[in-house]
Amino acid sequence: MASRSAPTSLRKRIRRKTPLLTMVSPVTVWMVILIAVPLAYVLLISFCSTDESHHIVFAFSVQNYVKLFDPTLLSIYGNSLLIAGLSCLISILVGYPFATIMANSSPFKRTLMMAFLMLPFWTNSLIRLYGWRSILGSNGFINSVLQELGLITQPLELLYNHFAVVLGMVYVLLPFMVLPIYTVILKLDHSLLEAASDLGARPARRFFKVTLPLTSSGIFAGSIMVFIPALGYFFVSNLMGGGTTQLIGNVIARQFKEAFNWPFGAALSIILILITLILVRAYTKTGGKMDDLGAM
Amino acid sequence: MKAKTKTHQRLMAVVLSLIMVLTGSLLVACGGGGTSNSGSSSGGVSGGGGGGVSGGELNVFIWAEYLPDSVVTKFTEETGIKVNVSNYSSNEDLLAKVQSSNEGIYDVVVPSDYMVKMMAEEGLLEELDKDSLPNLSNLDTSFLDPSFDPGNTYSLPYMGGVAMIVYNKNVVTEPITGYEQLFDPQYANSIVALDDFRAVIGMTAKSLGYSLNTTDDAELAQVATRLEELKPNVRLLDSDSPKSAMLSGETSIGYMWNAEVAICQEEDDSFEAVFPSEGCYLFLDNLSVLKGAKNRENALKFINFILEPEVSKMISEEFPYLNPNKAAVALLPDSYRDNPVSNVPAEVIAKGEYVQDLGADVVKYDELWTEFTR
Repeated sequence: MASRSAPTSLRKRIRRKTPLLTMVSPVTVWMVILIAVPLAYVLLISFCSTDESHHIVFAFSVQNYVKLFDPTLLSIYGNSLLIAGLSCLISILVGYPFATIMANSSPFKRTLMMAFLMLPFWTNSLIRLYGWRSILGSNGFINSVLQELGLITQPLELLYNHFAVVLGMVYVLLPFMVLPIYTVILKLDHSLLEAASDLGARPARRFFKVTLPLTSSGIFAGSIMVFIPALGYFFVSNLMGGGTTQLIGNVIARQFKEAFNWPFGAALSIILILITLILVRAYTKTGGKMDDLGAM
Repeated sequence: MKAKTKTHQRLMAVVLSLIMVLTGSLLVACGGGGTSNSGSSSGGVSGGGGGGVSGGELNVFIWAEYLPDSVVTKFTEETGIKVNVSNYSSNEDLLAKVQSSNEGIYDVVVPSDYMVKMMAEEGLLEELDKDSLPNLSNLDTSFLDPSFDPGNTYSLPYMGGVAMIVYNKNVVTEPITGYEQLFDPQYANSIVALDDFRAVIGMTAKSLGYSLNTTDDAELAQVATRLEELKPNVRLLDSDSPKSAMLSGETSIGYMWNAEVAICQEEDDSFEAVFPSEGCYLFLDNLSVLKGAKNRENALKFINFILEPEVSKMISEEFPYLNPNKAAVALLPDSYRDNPVSNVPAEVIAKGEYVQDLGADVVKYDELWTEFTR
């Protein structure tokens, strides 16, 4: 009996699993080839070194990780974290009111605001950043107007500094902050807000005690989606910072290009990935859902 | 409730597509090193005749802003060969692209001096068959048999030039003669320099009287101190279009390629050009055929065509670099020939220095640069 039922149950199991396998395996293969394998390679070469003609030598060493504790690099990491943090904070301050207004508008206005938010993305972000350069430059729009009005005599230095980099980051990444906040505000249960008012909470108190805690998951999701790219968007710091405000992304990009030092670049990337993982972990620990980050 | 989940999902779809768009633009940034006009955009120009014309095909991989469309069209008209042009914006991009692609994707490439040597050592270049290049005789012999490719086994000069200083004499009153003055504290926040670590560190080494390829630790320690002095003076690092910062008045002193300086001067006569007394950073870009090229015959035909005086003249008219083709220079107007900024004088070349691959010592330069741009 037992010997006869075994193949039957196996066949059954295959029959039950086949649809699942056919549906899932292409995606799995895709993810393995395009994400897992490259990442494994990055991890592998981060323990290698290079020879005189810049080829990667596969000999285990941790020298690339030891080099990470160089004070210059640590200060660049610090600077990157600062710029990413500031960008994140400003995105919240701008994005939260925007999302609130959008969520409380009529469907028509909502669509319109969404269009204003998304339309610029149909243009390459590099081109839009070049646009900012001509607005902020010494002879740019802002300085010309201010000088014309006699408010300033010397042009203000608006470009090629930390301020410009943060502005560029906020500009490029703002939609990532607005959209998650917008979804949680939409889902907000209005009866709770009414209850708070009925119980005598003034608008400010109601906002800080009820609305903000209920929408904090959106803020956190948005923050992760702004903070992480802001650490690595080297083209923003190149264009807006004038190449003199380097982020860790710039150092990584240079290792893979001019410096021919892929192993060191890989080690720098691994640290960046670790920072990302820690943040995402903190997010899920505090009750955030991976779905809200756009993960499958 | 259900409706809300649906909006939620729809929003997430929007977010996901946003991420894709952003990632796409990031990739463009990678390819072009931050330029909007370059990157690995391919298939730019295809010659007029095209279609079923028999001549076959040719894939050219060349620097952005270096090969006029008119030259490509003329080649196609004369030979019936369809030309596909792709662009890169640094030697390292070229090397990375060639190494990571299948053999035979490109036929003709245009690496600079040190990159010719590196690519030849990697076995990426095909030996040139000189018999099929009769126009070789148009080249000025002083540009032949270079140290990076003895006997021109793998390469022939295309265009060259120097990195030099330009300043706005309405703002900078004291004449500038060399690198030395770029370190002067009175020029705080007023320089635009190439975003190129070899050029800037090399210039600093030269200001101290050292080679721009120095790997000596004691010399590099001095260079490091000197770079700290340069730092407050540099407002902007830009390799793509440093002339823009000069023309817009953003900066009053520039350190950039000679053709950029020539264009500055064409636009506005308040710009003074300087060949630094300490000697220049030289570059020479070269035509080479890649190993395993599918259209080897056509590639040689193309190189021979570029070496024709008339064709070479067309290129110089559009991009005023130093032209190593003496027959072409003879055809060019006085405005080119008598302008030292485009037609760089022989004594400047003699005094200049090419960049060399530093091998493992490139790490030292990278560390200096990380410190400088922090």
